Amino acid sequence: MVEDLLHSQPGILNFGIFFLLATVLLLVILGFVTYAILAERKVMGFMQLRQGPNQVGGRWGLLQTVADVLKLLLKEDTIPKLADKPLFIIAPVIAFAPSFIVIAAIPFTDKLQFADLNIGLLYYIAISGLTTIGMVTGGWASNNKYALLGGMRAAAQMISYEIPLVMSVLGVILLTGSLNLNDIVAAQENVWYILLQPVAFIVFIIASVAELNRVPFDLPESENELVAGFHVEYSGFRWAFFMLAEYVYMFAMASLTTVLFLGGWLPLFSFLDFIPGAVWFALKFMFVVFLLIWFRSTFPRIRADKLMEFAWKILLPIALANIFLTAIIKEIFKLL
Amino acid sequence: MLGFGLAKGLKYTLKNLTKEKPTYEYPNEPLPLPDRFRGIQKFYPEKCIVCNQCANICPTDCIQLTGKKHPDPNKKGKIIDTYDINFEICILCDLCTEVCPTEAIIMSNNFELAEYSRDELFKNLEWLDENDENIRKVNKA
Repeated sequence: MVEDLLHSQPGILNFGIFFLLATVLLLVILGFVTYAILAERKVMGFMQLRQGPNQVGGRWGLLQTVADVLKLLLKEDTIPKLADKPLFIIAPVIAFAPSFIVIAAIPFTDKLQFADLNIGLLYYIAISGLTTIGMVTGGWASNNKYALLGGMRAAAQMISYEIPLVMSVLGVILLTGSLNLNDIVAAQENVWYILLQPVAFIVFIIASVAELNRVPFDLPESENELVAGFHVEYSGFRWAFFMLAEYVYMFAMASLTTVLFLGGWLPLFSFLDFIPGAVWFALKFMFVVFLLIWFRSTFPRIRADKLMEFAWKILLPIALANIFLTAIIKEIFKLL
Repeated sequence: MLGFGLAKGLKYTLKNLTKEKPTYEYPNEPLPLPDRFRGIQKFYPEKCIVCNQCANICPTDCIQLTGKKHPDPNKKGKIIDTYDINFEICILCDLCTEVCPTEAIIMSNNFELAEYSRDELFKNLEWLDENDENIRKVNKA
């Protein structure tokens, strides 16, 4: 359906259809973000022997996030006097926009996908790197030392961890022979890549947690060291945009993990294929999101001086070794 | 082994998911308090013999009471007319309830005294009589 639209004549109708589809997707993602935040607080509460939100919206606090967002909307929009005003205003937009753009390339099922790109994986990684600019811009424009330190840390960390992330994915690309996310899922028909590439999976998960700026890699916004990191000076809806970007990336990264290593919409066993692909995708996706929340409530923050060492001296060599090993094994199998 | 500690931590937090929570649902349910808890007093006007011992022993002088003659002229003694406790200064020390010979004043487990105005902390006979929830069980007889 989308294929036909992409190849049709440009015009008002075409624009309208795309605009409508994007709005629907945005609403779906906002719904996800609302309940991801609630799920995170609830799961973390239970893991810390607390109840979590249970006042607003019934026994399970179902309207807690809605109330929180409403509060943010009503808050005064403050801009520091000595801040760089245009940069300060545009930074949350730069941080959020790429997180929404990358979702276009992710195949949720074999039919439900917005853009079937041949270089889907490369597109995701290239676009998601742009968010760092938003964070550095926000940190710089705030004219605050904590914000600047947080922004610098964010830039250093996200660029460093992008490299092991890409390197770990190369193993998957070698086995598939394609950067197209649909082809990658199709190649997992018999066995998922988590079994063929376990090392790549572990490196990918670690690097993706670091990319998401989540515990144990939340140094850019470590509350007890940097007040709040790059968004100290932000309040109200501008701050909400940074928060939104973070959770939309969580959505995107969990989807990408599902597609690359957990077989996307494919069923666990072939006799279970009467269950629709969307359900399978949702189940795997929710497992990855739970894993991220689980990590958050378990691990302490990594030390700042160990952070770079870990990326360059441990993760990168492991990822490179995995690529060589994968290439060698693939060649041996070809000879046989 | 490297990384074993991480797995151990993950196992621990996963187990915590199903554990019973030590938190209280306080505003919705009353807190479980020991029976000897010293909360806001409950007053029984019919038991009071106006002996003034509570007002005398009170270390902060927060109890004021007046009596009147028994309406039945054949009976001796007095009955209570007004009885006020000022909870701005009451320290809930339990002395008034210990000294009372007829147990006309006893402690309860209620402790919520937050008010918007200071004069609302001045509780009179009727209010103290109506404060009849969670009262101390030892004194019930």
